[in-house]
Amino acid sequence: MIMEKDRLENLLNELTERTGEPVRPGLAEDIKGTIPAELSRHRGGLDTIRIMIDLRVNKLAAAAVIIAAMIIGITFWPDGASNSDGLYQDGKFLVEYLLKGEMASSKNMLAGLPGSSDFFQDGREAVYYGEGVEGGDKDALIMHWKISEDSYRVIYGDFRTDVVTASELIRLQAKMLQRKVK
Amino acid sequence: MEKQETLAGRLQAGERAAAVELVDKYYEQIYLCMRRLGHSRDVSEDLTQECFLQVWKHIGQLRSGRALKSWMYHIAGNVSKLYWRKHGGRGDVSLADFDMEASGEDELSAVERNEQLVRLTDTVGRLPLKLRQTIVLHYMQHLTISESSDALGIRKGTFKSRLNRALSFLRKELK
Repeated sequence: MIMEKDRLENLLNELTERTGEPVRPGLAEDIKGTIPAELSRHRGGLDTIRIMIDLRVNKLAAAAVIIAAMIIGITFWPDGASNSDGLYQDGKFLVEYLLKGEMASSKNMLAGLPGSSDFFQDGREAVYYGEGVEGGDKDALIMHWKISEDSYRVIYGDFRTDVVTASELIRLQAKMLQRKVK
Repeated sequence: MEKQETLAGRLQAGERAAAVELVDKYYEQIYLCMRRLGHSRDVSEDLTQECFLQVWKHIGQLRSGRALKSWMYHIAGNVSKLYWRKHGGRGDVSLADFDMEASGEDELSAVERNEQLVRLTDTVGRLPLKLRQTIVLHYMQHLTISESSDALGIRKGTFKSRLNRALSFLRKELK
């Protein structure tokens, strides 16, 4: 003989009412005191990287996981919908993290960036400037490759991608050179 | 729901007033959830604060399609789980630790009723954590099946299955 389900649910409801004890006055104020002056925004990527580091996950394994997720995200939400946004941010931070580490020459890390498919599909050789580039630097070039006679795909330090002409590319390279000389 | 989404949007935009509103809306629920999951009063207060600290830290990860309530409970569940992992055990405080006020029934009925409630609290306390969570979230915190499964990060079917197992266990034990 087991207890009827309805009866059990009634008992659970009653238990819920009886266990609704008052909360200490002041707890809400204590919690409000912990609200930071500025709430963090869009930190998903950094957090993912930190978790990977905290768990001592091999960098390459971490890269593979995030890049795979990023590619899937871009495949299913090519218009940059909110769901792929986080993945894209993750990818950006991962590349930033790797660029500062021993895998700085790992060009394949950029595979998931929008606009880079023309490079990876055709297997073109890219010129890589990544070493010494600070992540987030919108004026710095990370890499470029040739698309056609007078057009080049460039990727900047903040991971924007663009197509530029040969003369524009020369200007960008000159800027990079000036910065290095300084 | 619409209001919640608005609150989530305001939080994502970094609005401080929204954070205050979030505390007012959820601190009691989270505290009671911690208590019902088996933590003592002091620990429940600490864990409620920890839960909100995690919220401030991870607010940027809240996806627009996800209900704020489920997300809050998801964090609360993780905070509680981490506490037990760190301190061992799965909740040393029984639900019977609550102050049970007598209801308005006559003495005999009240005694019988309280007896059943005490047995129920003990039995809920003996449930494995995964099963206890389903009872606490669905029956005590009044989350829907969908909200509860989202809060635990599992599929609805899995949640229903765990809930049924928990109910079967309670029904057999209480008779």
